[in-house]
Amino acid sequence: MEKLIKNPVLKESIIYKKMDNGLDVYIMPRPGYQKQFAIYATRYGSNDSSFIPPGKKDPIVVPDGIAHFLEHKLFEEESGNVFESYSKLGAHPNAFTSFKTTAYHFTSTDNFYECLDILIGFVGRPYFTDENVEKEKGIIAQEIKMYEDNPHWRVFFNLLGGLYHQHPVKKDIAGTVESIYQIQKEDLYLCYETFYHPTNMVLFVAGEVEPDKIFKHINEHIKKQKADRRKQEEIKRIYPEEPSSIAKKVVKQKLHVSRPLFALGFKDIDVGYKGERLLDKTIMNEILLDLLVGPSSEVYNLLYEEGLIDDAFGAQFTGEEDYGFAIFSGESPEPEKVADILLEEIEKRKKSPWEEEHFLRIKRKNMGQFIRGFNYLESTGVKFVSMIFKDIHLFDYLERIEKIRYEDILKQLDTMYSSERSCLSLILPQ
Amino acid sequence: MKARDIIKYELGPGINLHVIPDTKFKTVFISYCFHRDLNDDYSYNALLPAVLKRGCEGFENIRKIETHLEQQYGAILSVGVQKKGESQILRFSMDLVNEAYLSENGILAQAFYFMNRIITKPLIENSLFKQEYVEQEAKNLKNRIASLINDKMSYSLERCIQEMCKDEKYSRYVYGSIEDLEELDAGRLFKVYEDTIKNSPLDIFATGDVDPEKIYMLVSNSLDIERNHIKAIPETVIKKVGIEEKEIIEEMDVAQAKLNMGFRTNTHFTEREYYPLLVYSSILGGGPHSKLFINVREKASLAYYAFSRLDKHKGLMIIGSGIEREKYNLAKDIILQQLADMRKGNISKEELIASKKSIITSLRGAKDQQSQLVDYYLSNVVGNSNVTLDELIDEVDKVTIDQVIDISERIKLDTVYLLSPRKGGGSYGKAN
Repeated sequence: MEKLIKNPVLKESIIYKKMDNGLDVYIMPRPGYQKQFAIYATRYGSNDSSFIPPGKKDPIVVPDGIAHFLEHKLFEEESGNVFESYSKLGAHPNAFTSFKTTAYHFTSTDNFYECLDILIGFVGRPYFTDENVEKEKGIIAQEIKMYEDNPHWRVFFNLLGGLYHQHPVKKDIAGTVESIYQIQKEDLYLCYETFYHPTNMVLFVAGEVEPDKIFKHINEHIKKQKADRRKQEEIKRIYPEEPSSIAKKVVKQKLHVSRPLFALGFKDIDVGYKGERLLDKTIMNEILLDLLVGPSSEVYNLLYEEGLIDDAFGAQFTGEEDYGFAIFSGESPEPEKVADILLEEIEKRKKSPWEEEHFLRIKRKNMGQFIRGFNYLESTGVKFVSMIFKDIHLFDYLERIEKIRYEDILKQLDTMYSSERSCLSLILPQ
Repeated sequence: MKARDIIKYELGPGINLHVIPDTKFKTVFISYCFHRDLNDDYSYNALLPAVLKRGCEGFENIRKIETHLEQQYGAILSVGVQKKGESQILRFSMDLVNEAYLSENGILAQAFYFMNRIITKPLIENSLFKQEYVEQEAKNLKNRIASLINDKMSYSLERCIQEMCKDEKYSRYVYGSIEDLEELDAGRLFKVYEDTIKNSPLDIFATGDVDPEKIYMLVSNSLDIERNHIKAIPETVIKKVGIEEKEIIEEMDVAQAKLNMGFRTNTHFTEREYYPLLVYSSILGGGPHSKLFINVREKASLAYYAFSRLDKHKGLMIIGSGIEREKYNLAKDIILQQLADMRKGNISKEELIASKKSIITSLRGAKDQQSQLVDYYLSNVVGNSNVTLDELIDEVDKVTIDQVIDISERIKLDTVYLLSPRKGGGSYGKAN
């Protein structure tokens, strides 16, 4: 089955095909681009550390940070290192692990189809030995330490630790130095077999490419696959029961920084769905945050003129099926005061909202930003994949934003932004 | 893109317009770039764009500016300052969605008139900039300078360069100095502004799906600027004799040590030797194919990252890596061994090819990103080079191993800088 999805506003289209082994492939032809970008991703991230493998009965708990560890180790092959194969072709490979996704990608300007073969090949061919697993621990320990020194990263994860009691989203994606030292090759194989099945994965390609040739190359790989890799039963992911309350009101940490960093977070408890409804909720919150504290808002200008924030201040919403949060973050000499003013502003707006003209203007702004995003193949690919894993098609955005009504936004303000479900995370100078 | 694909117009004394048309982009990116010497005025240069961004005639505050931009489908106005060699570039840029994707006309034309206002119609009180804006932006800039410490990787890199170029103006931080801003002289700031507008070379870039003639008309009709005597910017000094290697160790409450090593390449990017130098740096530390990645990370497991990068304007090469403090000497030895190996000619054909291809992928990729395209051609203006991206790609492709070995003789270690955790662990804290 092959499907052409067109977007007349963007003047772009995407070709979709489900391959025989269950893999979903999306291709976005972009004539004129020098680069080709391919991203091969699995619905598996740092949140998935407890699960029941398909066909098994008992739940398993693996060490924290294993999805990220696995991402590092897949680059190792019996015949050498994947980087080497890409280097010969001049492509730039990389990978990332997030809460819900592990993705492998490359950018090429030549030899695209050979690079694609490498990508599909190595992701499908784990090679873990005691020795190569052990060797990686030192490297990842340094990666973890690099993040320990990053105050922006710390203020974010400390906030999640304050918002959540149990949910694994509160844990660092890479795990801890202690947890990664527990990882053995058997754990990696188990996670690999569970989560790296074609039916659990997506491939997205953008650039000046030929779709038929891509499908042909993928089919060659499928032919080589073992029969038992063609079908998979359901993976049961186990997430602990998360109360609707927050775990901590304030979280503080001292680091060597020039002045305080803050993140004020709100926990979303209206969760449990994906697709269009999740997209609508995300759009509503994005517009809402702009109305509340965007650079044209009253409160932004007040805080800026008082010297309480600078242009590093911003707000963003994250919406997933099983969790969600909004975060206001920045640097400030008086972060508690900023948090108080923001909370006051939210309450004030619940009673006396904005002019509707402001809402319409923010809509235009968001539409423009969305169109701008298509300048960049890499970020388009990353965004596409993370959305498709939530059953959202990126192209639907413009149609959905048109339909969002001002009343819906105000309802969202009432339900989502409650000081009871807010937490303030602070990084303070030593 | 061929050379003819960048179209240049002379608009007036020291004003050049460069248009790079490309149908694939969804936005039009416009950038006004004033060239300044990295002299004693550098803190003033850095402050200027921030003050101008606060308001102008017709758009007197952030709120009015941002309201206007939102109305224009989220056009983005960004201002800032860049260091390119021993010059500072004051930049005023706008990124707007191309009208072809909107049911509205006039957005492009308005953008040029808007930019002109921001640059040439500031808010004036008693023949000076509005005092409140100057004071607030000076404070913001001081905070920004101080916040360099928050990013340990950038901090250690900057500190390495500062120590290395101690007696050169290149040691000046792009955002200025806190001391200058403490004693800010509002009269001097306004003089710096007038000097910029009247006497500094100005390059304007526009790229996107645009008609160059139309852009030319829009810029020349909108730009209301009085020019006087155009000042040439002094060339960046890149060669330095009598270098003595030095080692600086600074302690801080951090989890990871950051090692930076600064080298003099004694090569400017307009010299032909720059091509093998590019390849040299890529073989050494330009990605997963490089000697540093393979030997420091993959073989010794000492680091997550280890890279080398060139500063093409100043002729520097900087190596950076995040390591354990106890592994400092080992890491340094392994790194220096890689350089020694290259000098001895220990470079494989595979390394050469991988490096050349990797550079070419990046250079071709630059054509897919408007900001990178502009940055490349702006650098050409600064360094007085005419080499197009395609010509550079051809030159890189021709580099031989012998040329890379030859260039290694020019590369001299100057400064080793280590940002280190305090001995005995220190008080590195956890969240509570």
